[in-house]
Amino acid sequence: MDYLVAVLLPQLLHGLVFGAALGLLALGLTVIFGLLGVMNFAHGELYMLGAYAGIAMVGLTHSFWAALVVAPLAVGAIGAVTEVATLRPLYRREPLYGLILTFGLALVFREGVRQIWGGDMRRILPPFTGSTPLLGMTYPNYRLFLLGASSLLLLAIWLFFTKTRAGVLVRAAVQDAEMLDGLGVNVPRVFTLTFAGSAALAALAGLLLAPVFTVYPQMGVEMILLAFIVVILGGMGSMGGSVVAAFVIGLAQSLLTLWMNPQRVAIAIFGIMIVVLIIRPRGFFGREGVLE
Amino acid sequence: MARDGVVLEVDGVSKSFGALAALSNVSLAVRARQVFSVIGPNGAGKSTLFNVVSGLHVPTAGRVRFRGQEIGGLAPETINRLGVAKTFQITNIFPQISVGENVRVAAQSRARESGRLASLWRRPDVEAGVADLLRAFGLAARRDDLAANLSHGEQRYLEICLALATEPTLLLLDEPTAGMTPGETKEATALIRQVASARGLTVLLIEHDMSVVMGISDRIAVLHFGEKIAEGAPEEIRSDPKVVEAYLGPPEA
Amino acid sequence: MSRALTWRSCVVFAALAALPLVPGIPKYYLLLAFDALLFGAIAMSLDLLIGYTGLVSFGHAAFYGLGAYATAVLLERGILSLWACLAFAILVVGLYALVIGYFATARRGIYFALLTLIFAEVVYTFFRYTQTFGGSDGIQGLPDAVVLPGIAIDTPVRKYYLVWVYLVLAYAVCRVLVTSHFGRVLVAIRENEDRARFLGYNVQRYKMAVCMLSALLTGLAGAIYPIRAAFATPDLMLWTESGEFIISVMIGGLGTLVGPILGGVFFTLLRDKVSSYVDWYFIVIGVVLVVIVLFLPKGLLGLRRVFRFGRWRATA
Repeated sequence: MDYLVAVLLPQLLHGLVFGAALGLLALGLTVIFGLLGVMNFAHGELYMLGAYAGIAMVGLTHSFWAALVVAPLAVGAIGAVTEVATLRPLYRREPLYGLILTFGLALVFREGVRQIWGGDMRRILPPFTGSTPLLGMTYPNYRLFLLGASSLLLLAIWLFFTKTRAGVLVRAAVQDAEMLDGLGVNVPRVFTLTFAGSAALAALAGLLLAPVFTVYPQMGVEMILLAFIVVILGGMGSMGGSVVAAFVIGLAQSLLTLWMNPQRVAIAIFGIMIVVLIIRPRGFFGREGVLE
Repeated sequence: MARDGVVLEVDGVSKSFGALAALSNVSLAVRARQVFSVIGPNGAGKSTLFNVVSGLHVPTAGRVRFRGQEIGGLAPETINRLGVAKTFQITNIFPQISVGENVRVAAQSRARESGRLASLWRRPDVEAGVADLLRAFGLAARRDDLAANLSHGEQRYLEICLALATEPTLLLLDEPTAGMTPGETKEATALIRQVASARGLTVLLIEHDMSVVMGISDRIAVLHFGEKIAEGAPEEIRSDPKVVEAYLGPPEA
Repeated sequence: MSRALTWRSCVVFAALAALPLVPGIPKYYLLLAFDALLFGAIAMSLDLLIGYTGLVSFGHAAFYGLGAYATAVLLERGILSLWACLAFAILVVGLYALVIGYFATARRGIYFALLTLIFAEVVYTFFRYTQTFGGSDGIQGLPDAVVLPGIAIDTPVRKYYLVWVYLVLAYAVCRVLVTSHFGRVLVAIRENEDRARFLGYNVQRYKMAVCMLSALLTGLAGAIYPIRAAFATPDLMLWTESGEFIISVMIGGLGTLVGPILGGVFFTLLRDKVSSYVDWYFIVIGVVLVVIVLFLPKGLLGLRRVFRFGRWRATA
């Protein structure tokens, strides 16, 4: 029982937070792909940039909260500029160009960060320390905060996509991008805002998780690989599927780390993906009839 | 096959997407060499019916039989090899290769080597069939042009050539004259009728343009909200009150 | 003759064959030329996937690395026959390609890109952390392979001719493939995968076939590498290596076969000059990719040639 409470439970909670972050990334990938037709290989780097922007802001202002506001906006701006300058010319072309371009962008972002900040691991200190007794164990306050923050974020996103006109529009367009043409919407602006918004969210996730994980240039790579697995399992047309798969993978990752070293965990997650693909080739929520 | 039997039999087919019932218990039978049209207001389920027959969707209920064989739920490529070819409502060709290449790749799917190991090195000769089709649809002069550079009407013709190149028995035409001018539409209608009869084809047609439908069809079925509300010869359909109501709304009180 | 090799390519290959005969050519340049030709051959086999079928493989380095380890494992154990190494590489890479091909081709092209990347990462992780295969150091200090009993591939000149023969054969195979029934279907799949299905083609089967062919060609190239380098390391399987293959194809021009060979050669020479500035190297690669996609998508040779199907009519 002690084991359950002292070890398993915290890891479970941690898995939920991790799953939420993965869900944010996977959602961003799904929405960008559905709307813009581009698989954003650089999405993991946007997550990473959020953490580094946070480091810069904290260095400037010594305030984590200021960083929490400014960093996502900054990365969102970077996203907007990137979309307009490099992705827009590609919309009329075959999808493979977008793939290769974002792959190149990922390299530039990653190595650029390495040049500026060096390749060492860095830390962002959590804005508050201490822990709280919870369900018979003590749980770090910052992690509690993360639990709350990620729940709020996911709730806000769900509300956006179901209750606001803009959100419903984007959601429908993810299924069928051509419908936007007939609605008199300023399509290029929608694309830019969507990309910038996904970038900001990824950056927010990166910054929020930074005090828990270490910050280093490769941190985006590991996240994006997991996010790809999430997207493969959830199916590209299903936003709900992405979120569900994200939690499954997040929890799996978190729990397996208790018993295996990181390399084995990676291979185990991969194995889970293979098993699911064998049983349900279209992923959890694949839709028939779309030649998925 | 020149028997006067039933080529396509749609038997109580329903198709639902989650809560949305796109087709409800639709039945019809298309006889050999007939031109059978399916009409109805937007959202009536006409394209869904085509998608079920051509293999894109699996019917939720009911059966589809082609020349006596069950095809419901088979993969699109299998159904095509059995002799059912479909054209698309939104032009669906191979844009960055030439017109001739478009038709050739369609035609060679019926070559002996197709699907075999020999296809890795052999180059089947399908020249005669390709030239025939291009000539029949007036595309011979455009043979070396990129398909993406064709006019809309020409692309619609290319769309039909692709389907015909696979030597089908049953041709599914999904709004073949969509986006054509009235002049082009008349020409296309006559051409379709001529080619179909020359090749002994059975045609299942979706159309919005009533003049096309009335002029070309042997038999018409009307769909509304996924159900078949009428079926018969063109004259019967023209004067059927249910059909008029479906298109124009309920009669004034 | 006219389908497997063009007159132009014969001239080029003849010139390449004469390279070692140049008096006083330093060993370093011969080995660099080896690397260039090998890279060119790999880029060409990747072009089958990217240029002709429209499938981007982000994990091609895994095929390459697996082939290298296959040879390394045999050489390490004293099995020096070149043919044994090649056969074993075909077996190993073939099996891997079968598995990855099955999963990666079941759905749309985008999943192919994602799955090839993920699979390659797993393969890299496996070799990097498995001590049986030398861990991060890989397998070092390999002996020379043997073509026939008594004829070892020990001099730079012999190694160079080994890769030359491979390149010529690989080119011939690719040319026959792309000008055949099969090649046309690949292009159709690239242009409009769904339409190809409705024309009766089992698209997944074609995708699996081209994936296997491309993988085997790259795997054989990988099998040749340790014969020149005397080692095999996990770094051969890094996704950055896959990125370099992609750059080579893009520089040379999608869908031309010859373009990627040139691209691979060009890139190898470029890398030789630039990689002393290791720090900036990856940024340069990234920028080059972005610039090529935006401004030079046709690469050096462009997609022009693949659409000259009229040429084939005359030779049918």
